Amino acid sequence: MAGNPMQQFSVHKIGPEINIGGIDLSFTNASLFMVISAAIILIFLFVGTKEKKIVPGKVQLVAEMFYTFVAKMISDTAGSKAKPYFPFIFSLFMFVLFCNMVGMLPYSFTVTSHIIVTLIMALFIFIAVTIIGFAKHGFKYLSIFVPSGVPAVLLPLITVIEIISYLSRPVSLSVRLFANMMAGHTMLKVFGGFVISLGLLGGWLPLSFSVALTGLEILVAFLQAYVFAILTCIYLNDALNLHH
Amino acid sequence: MRQYLNFFIALIAIQRDLYAAEAGMPQLDPKYWASQAFWLILVFTVLYFSISKFYLPKIKNNLDDRENRIKDDIEDANKSKELSENKLKEYEKILEDAKKEVIKIQIESKTKLDKDIQEKKEKIEKEIEKELIQAQKEITELKKNSISDIHNISKEIASNIIENISGDKLNESSIKAAVEEISKKNVGKYL
Repeated sequence: MAGNPMQQFSVHKIGPEINIGGIDLSFTNASLFMVISAAIILIFLFVGTKEKKIVPGKVQLVAEMFYTFVAKMISDTAGSKAKPYFPFIFSLFMFVLFCNMVGMLPYSFTVTSHIIVTLIMALFIFIAVTIIGFAKHGFKYLSIFVPSGVPAVLLPLITVIEIISYLSRPVSLSVRLFANMMAGHTMLKVFGGFVISLGLLGGWLPLSFSVALTGLEILVAFLQAYVFAILTCIYLNDALNLHH
Repeated sequence: MRQYLNFFIALIAIQRDLYAAEAGMPQLDPKYWASQAFWLILVFTVLYFSISKFYLPKIKNNLDDRENRIKDDIEDANKSKELSENKLKEYEKILEDAKKEVIKIQIESKTKLDKDIQEKKEKIEKEIEKELIQAQKEITELKKNSISDIHNISKEIASNIIENISGDKLNESSIKAAVEEISKKNVGKYL
């Protein structure tokens, strides 16, 4: 069992089967780790905002750092118009980050390593951004596909490319996160398997690799959450500030 | 990197054909997709609302409070600085005034003193002059008296000498005439 690096991604039911209208909505290990990640975020924020100190404590300082980090990211990429979307981007960033980080614990499950999870988030962002774009600019929003300053000959081609790139946003956004998380965890598992199979004599090399990879994966976990959030900001910027 | 990884996965899948059936990606098994989507939406919605309604305003409040506090503190500090600078200026002004006053007092007292000295000097000089005149007067008087005294003494001495030498008593008036004649000749030499 331990030898299959894909085993860690399998979803199984926990508790009774929940079936609503013929659809299986059972609580699974994936659901469990979503709840755990969300609970950690909420506990962390609760502790971080419990005491309103002028000179912050450790947890409060970290909570405020997250706040200012995300706030700065949004104002840098999408400007002041994106302020109403700050709670969403903050929640998104925290959720992805904590899901990734919780997934780094041994025997845990990585929620974001499932394409369906990342795809739903990406699709939601894509649809929401498109709605925001049309709501703010009407049919003018379509001009996002027609970049200014392009020679007339190239314009049809460029427009087609722009449309394709726009439509592939949810795919690229979701696959980037999913593939990164899956690849990292698979690799960790593979090297972990090598440590076992090579035994006491040869296992040291893959073990050191595993240690290094764990560090790298923690970096990737943070980086992918950041990339996910910043790309959302960039898409939002396109929708809010047409022709920047 | 990803190719390398895929190669690895494939290698392991081939090696352990026991698990070949499970070697596919569990992510692509649609059995629990609906469940995952449902729980994701549920959990994220709860997370979103509790963060946006409860925690973010709290953090924002706290950050704003801190910023305001810092601003106020800086303002206070600036005010205090201004106040102390003004106080310093005041103090310097007082010091300068005092210095001026000192110089003024010095000059005043000096002129007063000078005047006093001058006055006293003049007074004393006048007194000295007066005394000088008095003394001169006394001297002249004394001179006058002394001349007549000398005449008398000389006359007496002359009559005594003549009497002793000749045993005769000379006429007093003739002796007086002789003395007066000689003294007239010589008195100018001494007085």
